[in-house]
Amino acid sequence: MTTPAAHTTALPRDEGPAARRRIKELSDLAVLIGGQGGDGTLTVADLLGRYFRKRGLHVYTSRNVLSRIRGGHADSSIRACREPIAAIKSRNDLLVAFDAESLEIGKPELEPDGLILYDSSVFHSDLPNAIGFPFATLAGGKLGAPIYKNTTAYGVISQMMGFDPVLTRSVIEERFQRRGGELLEKNLKALELGREAATQNPDAMGRWTVAEGSATRHILTTGNQATALGFVVGGGRFFAGYPITPATEIMEYLQRYLPAFHGVVRQAEDELAAVNMVIGASYAGARSMTSTSGPGLALMTEGIGHAGAAEVPLVVADCQRVGPSTGEPTRHEQSDLLHLAHIGHGEFPRFILAPGTVEDCFYLTVDALNLAEKWRLPVLLLLDQALCQNSVTSDPFDLGRVHVDRGRRLSPEDVQKLESYRYYQFTPDGISPYAPPGTPGVTSQVTGNEHDEFGHVSVNTANRVRMMAKRMGKLEHARDELPLPHLYGEPGAKVGLIAYGSTTGAVREAQELLALRGIPTRFFQSRTIFPVQTHTLEPFLKEVDVAFVVECNYTGQYGQLIREALPQHHAKLRPILKYDGLPFRGPDLAHRVEEVLHGPVR
Amino acid sequence: MVQSAKSIPSTWCPGCGDFGVLAAVKKAMAELKIPTHETVLVGGIGCSGGIHNFLEINGIHALHGRLLAQAVGIKLANPKLTVIAAGGDGDGYAIGMGHFMHAFKKNASILYILMMNETYGLTKGQAAPTAPLGYEGNIERPFDGILTALSQQVPNFVARSFSGDPKGMTKILLEAIQFNREGRGFAFVEDLSPCVTYNDTYKAWREKVLDLSTLPGYDPADRKAIFRLYLETIEKGRIPIGVMHRPPAADAGAAPAPESLELKLLPDRTGPVAAEIGVAANQAAYQKLLQTVA
Repeated sequence: MTTPAAHTTALPRDEGPAARRRIKELSDLAVLIGGQGGDGTLTVADLLGRYFRKRGLHVYTSRNVLSRIRGGHADSSIRACREPIAAIKSRNDLLVAFDAESLEIGKPELEPDGLILYDSSVFHSDLPNAIGFPFATLAGGKLGAPIYKNTTAYGVISQMMGFDPVLTRSVIEERFQRRGGELLEKNLKALELGREAATQNPDAMGRWTVAEGSATRHILTTGNQATALGFVVGGGRFFAGYPITPATEIMEYLQRYLPAFHGVVRQAEDELAAVNMVIGASYAGARSMTSTSGPGLALMTEGIGHAGAAEVPLVVADCQRVGPSTGEPTRHEQSDLLHLAHIGHGEFPRFILAPGTVEDCFYLTVDALNLAEKWRLPVLLLLDQALCQNSVTSDPFDLGRVHVDRGRRLSPEDVQKLESYRYYQFTPDGISPYAPPGTPGVTSQVTGNEHDEFGHVSVNTANRVRMMAKRMGKLEHARDELPLPHLYGEPGAKVGLIAYGSTTGAVREAQELLALRGIPTRFFQSRTIFPVQTHTLEPFLKEVDVAFVVECNYTGQYGQLIREALPQHHAKLRPILKYDGLPFRGPDLAHRVEEVLHGPVR
Repeated sequence: MVQSAKSIPSTWCPGCGDFGVLAAVKKAMAELKIPTHETVLVGGIGCSGGIHNFLEINGIHALHGRLLAQAVGIKLANPKLTVIAAGGDGDGYAIGMGHFMHAFKKNASILYILMMNETYGLTKGQAAPTAPLGYEGNIERPFDGILTALSQQVPNFVARSFSGDPKGMTKILLEAIQFNREGRGFAFVEDLSPCVTYNDTYKAWREKVLDLSTLPGYDPADRKAIFRLYLETIEKGRIPIGVMHRPPAADAGAAPAPESLELKLLPDRTGPVAAEIGVAANQAAYQKLLQTVA
């Protein structure tokens, strides 16, 4: 594998003013903005992302921050491309360094003809491709606060790349409008400061322009926001959570969205309370969800098992981060998969859905709510840090594709037609009809103890066997209702790729690179992780000679599940793993596939 | 009449203090004429937590210590329901302590009945957080739930009843449920409920209980005075019972219950359960929401 650090950057020789004036049009641009936490690198990436989206380009932004409010190296990257993308680029075209450390960190990943913009009020660089601007003193001097240096930098970039001035400004207005007043005004001034500074610097001007794209209808959003939106339109009306990186934004968005829809959001004292509040609300008949990450999931394990035993619908979104224990709160990993597959003591059914794109986050959250309510069991949404927090352009979400299925929920009229109402009634598919508490004429007993059909505690052996079969049977009965995989690439290709979550973006990019090198591939993007979808996986595995299972963990967790479910195909499975805290990138992944197929690639 | 979950015979030992609570809950419900289908009883883990099985009522048996979290979730989801959480002192003061403290802060209009017997009866007599020094080798000072409750920023309704005084207990539960139904927030009742098998304290407690309302200067709206009265009473080796704190009705607005707060913001005062969730019914509002995404 080629690690980014192994590259040495060949700096371009200065070929004189004539060469510099050659304007290069970029159709796949990546910018890395680095500084100290609190320098506002995220804002620069966000502003650039908004601008490029308006220009019809596909955008992907990512962040690399430490788990602290201020200080420590932090960087953000933004990629804009004419083709659809959902991963960061391997090399950056432009590096914005607010401090010397950021320059050192960013330099190895710069394209050979890349440029560096650095804050010359903080340090000096002699590199021939580095252009200094005194961002901090410009902003400090003219606006009274160096904090506006980030927007000043945005102004410089906008001018040197020939941005449309009206659109450039509207991006600032859009971003700061909600907070309004002085903040908006000063940011607009900071933009102008940057533009002026760039205009006066011949080194910076006339280097690049950025191509326009055709994806003008696209929205720019994160997996967390898409999940929150999916929850609302999927009929979610109760949410309880506890702040945890990288899941918190789901709760924050819902605090904004839900009150207008008669919904309630509560921040609980811990994850134990959050999951149990959700179980209570769900038992009462409200569509409910909680979201968390590894450490919170550990605490919620007890509640998830309770919902499984008591047959109360429950949706938990797990925004995976680096574990175990506190791990790396702001970094990316996909290592909770087996924990979710086996979560809880004892045995109970659960479904695990894994969105791979922000669109998936939206639609699969709706699916999760429908499945949980219909089948009356826990549905776990397997998300990951990159998917949750990186923003990406996507088609607008389509309400026409959203349906609410409340399963076998009984109205008061339905109930009056019954001879008896039993919360745990035995039925062929294991789904017992449900009447919410408050339905006239009936009461119910619900419990995590083993119980009879009426919900009364029972240790009768025959009843125990039937109840286990009722619950566990749902895994098989629900099979055809679970989200299908997405298949990409060439049908009949002999090289297979299997992945889930945000790794999807890197795999799709790798597929294109591999195709260019004469290696056609077929990609199985798994959207239902558990129960293992043998009926879709097996035909896929039969078609290919080798299947790379690409995931961000140490032990190849999804590969293990597949191997266990389809042992006859185990020889075809090859793990490609990454557990350094960062997501896959397309070119690196393509390289690793090639290495396995053809031996070390030079 | 549709046949649904009936009450079943209790599993408690004859003479258990929890019978007093069961009887008092039944009486209070009958007196207030609350329909059984509109009531949910959330039981904890332990002998007392099984109480929902012995009533004709909606019952949900929570995890150990988590009954208050579930009860708050139920109330916020459907504020029309009368929600009672009931469990033991191990459940509430040990494993569920965090949720107990936060129940005051959350201040949902639910009733929490904690049956206190100083012991873990179901697991055969280990020391509860309330166990006196020396009980089963206990070397830690007992925990006092009423003092904790009174020290909260928003104590709202706080009382202690005694299973040996069924009339007094029924009166307290009636008041507490009424307090909830008026949407005035959290009500907490600790009931002295002796375990006749592992810690039969009936006789000792009967001799020690002292109804604070019989003392001069008693005013449940005056927290400072009650605190002092309570401390003086326990210093004399007596066990205070009665209503310890109840804000006057006029002050109800000072600490509104969250479900009433949230519902006031909503046009037709509908909670999550009653909300219309279909796409068609929300089409315009959903479109508007989706358009906020840049």
